[in-house]
Amino acid sequence: MEANKRCIKCILSDKFPKIKFDEHGVCNFCNNELIYSTDAEQINKSVSEITKLFDDFRGKSDYDAIVCYSGGKDSTYTLKLAVEKYNLKVLSFTLDNGFISPVAFENINRVTNKLGIDHITYKPSYDFMKGLYRMSSLESLYNPSSLTRISANCNSCISIVNITALKYALEKEVPFILAGFTLGQIPANTIYYKNNYKFFEESRRPVIEKMKNKLGKNVSTYLEISDSLLSKSPNYPYNINLLCVEDITENEIIEQILPLGWKKPKDVDGCSTNCKLNAFNNFVHFKRYGYSPYELELSHLIRKKLLSREEAIEKLYDQPQDQINNAMLELKVDPAHILPFN
Amino acid sequence: MSTTVITKTEIQNELMEFLCRQFLVETEDIDITKSLVDTGIIDSMGLIEIASYISKKYEFKVEEQHMNRDNFGSVIKIVDFIYRVKTS
Repeated sequence: MEANKRCIKCILSDKFPKIKFDEHGVCNFCNNELIYSTDAEQINKSVSEITKLFDDFRGKSDYDAIVCYSGGKDSTYTLKLAVEKYNLKVLSFTLDNGFISPVAFENINRVTNKLGIDHITYKPSYDFMKGLYRMSSLESLYNPSSLTRISANCNSCISIVNITALKYALEKEVPFILAGFTLGQIPANTIYYKNNYKFFEESRRPVIEKMKNKLGKNVSTYLEISDSLLSKSPNYPYNINLLCVEDITENEIIEQILPLGWKKPKDVDGCSTNCKLNAFNNFVHFKRYGYSPYELELSHLIRKKLLSREEAIEKLYDQPQDQINNAMLELKVDPAHILPFN
Repeated sequence: MSTTVITKTEIQNELMEFLCRQFLVETEDIDITKSLVDTGIIDSMGLIEIASYISKKYEFKVEEQHMNRDNFGSVIKIVDFIYRVKTS
């Protein structure tokens, strides 16, 4: 993850798309020359809209919200906010991608017990997941412009999370899907939106077709929604990222979730609190694009004064080689086959 | 009271500025006649970002029935959509 040059204020490196540095070594992101909408305006608007949406729909279905729950710190805090701050009846859902830390699973059990909520774990075939990760690592599945905030492997995994959550929401007529993304991981103007599957399907089709060519028809099981389910459910749910409207540091989040029985796993990298594959995902992204997929998110937190630059650098460089090696062995990926994107 | 008349050229210039800043691309990367998704400028989340930009900038809500390829299939189609709504 070593870079030739990084911004002296944040941690964006000289390989990040469209980066420029002024004479003092400050990047054009810190100088506010890029990214159109300011967070503050968008957050204020989102807070009132989200509150109104919850008030309009609370109590009208068996569940008010499906919460995508990875067992990591951010989704644990999102779950706590949903139940305790917003008073929603939630169904939490975990996608078992085959690489979740055992401690994260223990966290899921302890936290859902403590909050007294219903929970589903969905585990796609391990062979399918390994094939998907291998493909995402070695082929140009996504356009590089969609990978500035996320690695290709995380993108593939989160696509299954999103589709599965949407299926549950449609089947059970649940009006909201909540996820634990933070600003920096997603842009401020996507804090909440109506999940219009048909509209998005068109844009996802080229990627889905590439996957089907390589991985077969199982892709449809995990990444598409049948017309019969869509026609049965006239209303699409809203996707909402509650954490984006909270001004809270990582340490404060951990303080809040410790009483729920949450513990920090030791078998993950500095940027994850649940997934043993993350160090490998970051390694692949760095080899292909020359920068870490966490640079934008961590830099955003620095600018918001929610993280120091030193803490961010420590997280970025905490990428244990044994975790990378284990993943390569398990996925049968030869690092010599991970080629720089051109 | 004065009435401001917006032109398609103004809408297109503003939209192109937004796209370049938000999606980290250059003007010459964008073919205004082709789908931003098909040409790799944006993914499905990008469509949400554009819809949100339109709502905020032009002060009208992009309804679910507006979310289709006829309105979002290229820069030209997005400009036409905004112009149509603003001048109707």
